[in-house]
Amino acid sequence: MSEGFSLETPFRDPFQLSELRFGSGPLKVALVAGLHGTELTGVHALNLVAGALRMARVQGQVVLIPIVNAHGVEQGTKRWPFDDRDINRAFPGDPGGSAVERIAFALLASTQADVCVDVHGGSAAIRELPQVRVPLSGAELGLARSMQLPMLWRRAGDRLEATGLVGAWRERGISAMHVVGGRAGTLDVGHARTLAHGLLRLLHHLKVLKHSAADPAEVQVDTTRQGVRYHYSDVGGFWVPEVRVGDRVAPGHLLGAVTEVVGGQRVEAVRAERAGIVMSMRAYPVVHARELLVRVADPIS
Amino acid sequence: MSDSIHVLTRIGMPAGDSVPVIRRRFSGSEGLRVAIVAGIRGDTPEGMRVAHQVCGVLEGCHARLNGTVDVYPCVNPLAAHRAIRNWPFFDQDLNRLFPGRPNGHAPDVVAYALTQDVRGADIVIEMRGAHPSFAEAPQAHVRRGDTHAAELAKSVNVNVVWARDPSVASTATFAAQFQGVISLEGGTGNRLTSGVGKALGEGILNLLNVVKVLPDSEVPFHWATMQRPLMVEDSQVHRIRTARSGFFLPEASPWDTVASGDVIGRVVDPSTGALQETVLAPLAGKILAVREQPVVFSGSMVIRMVEQVDE
Repeated sequence: MSEGFSLETPFRDPFQLSELRFGSGPLKVALVAGLHGTELTGVHALNLVAGALRMARVQGQVVLIPIVNAHGVEQGTKRWPFDDRDINRAFPGDPGGSAVERIAFALLASTQADVCVDVHGGSAAIRELPQVRVPLSGAELGLARSMQLPMLWRRAGDRLEATGLVGAWRERGISAMHVVGGRAGTLDVGHARTLAHGLLRLLHHLKVLKHSAADPAEVQVDTTRQGVRYHYSDVGGFWVPEVRVGDRVAPGHLLGAVTEVVGGQRVEAVRAERAGIVMSMRAYPVVHARELLVRVADPIS
Repeated sequence: MSDSIHVLTRIGMPAGDSVPVIRRRFSGSEGLRVAIVAGIRGDTPEGMRVAHQVCGVLEGCHARLNGTVDVYPCVNPLAAHRAIRNWPFFDQDLNRLFPGRPNGHAPDVVAYALTQDVRGADIVIEMRGAHPSFAEAPQAHVRRGDTHAAELAKSVNVNVVWARDPSVASTATFAAQFQGVISLEGGTGNRLTSGVGKALGEGILNLLNVVKVLPDSEVPFHWATMQRPLMVEDSQVHRIRTARSGFFLPEASPWDTVASGDVIGRVVDPSTGALQETVLAPLAGKILAVREQPVVFSGSMVIRMVEQVDE
């Protein structure tokens, strides 16, 4: 492990942006996780990748940064705890700016690779099927498919702002992808393993690794926004799910129910409108009206 | 002619109760419609206080108004209830959700309802409130190039009118939804600051008088007591940052006059108190904001100042 950027910190030792570098020569791939301090499944996924790379012969150079927001990880906060700023809204950063702007600037400088991946967890309330999100077309699409994650979601590129890491990478001509899996605030070991295997398949596809350490995978979803059905609550209450992410459902399948917080009477049954794969599931059970409960994606036929 | 309370939208809570977001309308004869919006963020009680101060005057004279004044005293009541900045559920910044969606989740619906209700107002004033870490001099922000808003803002009894360029995130703010918005702030977030609420409240009443909505007979102070603000743009506003981390001890207060090279603060080691850095004014001018939360990193902003310009 090498210590990259360092930032003097009140009351304690300096903050360090720790990097794991493998191989030598031009930087081919950069993998980043832990921009948000609560998204721990991605942190574990990168540590699993690091374990595999230690055992392998790496062609070219790969950098892994498993935890960017180390203080947020320690304190269980998504954003940088000192001033509650989101590092993923601070790009391209500023070497003379505030703490998050300096971290963002240093991170961008350390990750000028051919291909970059930013790994996130779902939100604190939603569990996500391991997935890679890419633009509708372009170089990233082929790279994303090489990962064989359970879901590939092609989305309009304008959803990514240049103040986010993936947007900043793309502004610099880097092939950049956004990988998501699990739920913030928890460690989902199975999803972390799935994400790690996908990243190792990508490294194999890029000829960084001669052999892929990962097992063959089942890709369940390869779709665009039109292929994803959003189910929202009509009323507030207590959400009781009946399915899990990755489940295959048929039209009319009961996805879950909203019940009264006190008394438990069912006030709304939520059913699948069409056949598909459950890709996102509300995990925190207290819901307000018009909040996301479930996303069902068209399956690969 | 009326003085009415209207429920803009009602936020249904999971446990079965609900929280209303309200608008108070004071209307007299035909004339301009002025919207005054406070509490988009929950840590801005100064703005809510000013809204109530203005309502207190208008309650006694709404029949004599030449126009309509709509006051939204607290747009984000759930956050204000907890004295936090963001909408508590999902930690959403309401001021990044405009114009909102009619069929979205609760903060989206509130943003949409407010946007729709304010639409058509001739003058829009946003009581923004300062960040909890800073003490700010009373100031008005307008969009650069919006000369009409800048001209009106001269009446609101602030030290500075700052014509700002929009930021990347600003398209989703409340102020970006309308032409000519005047955003007011001053004091410190999550606190009421002596003098600031009075200054801003009187400033709004003065503006209502200048645009002829509030008759001279109803103005509870003399116009000559109003501040004549400095007019500045982004290039004249300077952010002073620390080079070292530690404990920042300010040596200046909002609206102090400083010369280039004056000591405006010090950074000391938080464990021993040993001096780490002396922060000097890089130019002559006025102090616009001072950091009150003392813990700083390298690069933390501790002072914002405006260049010395002709008053």
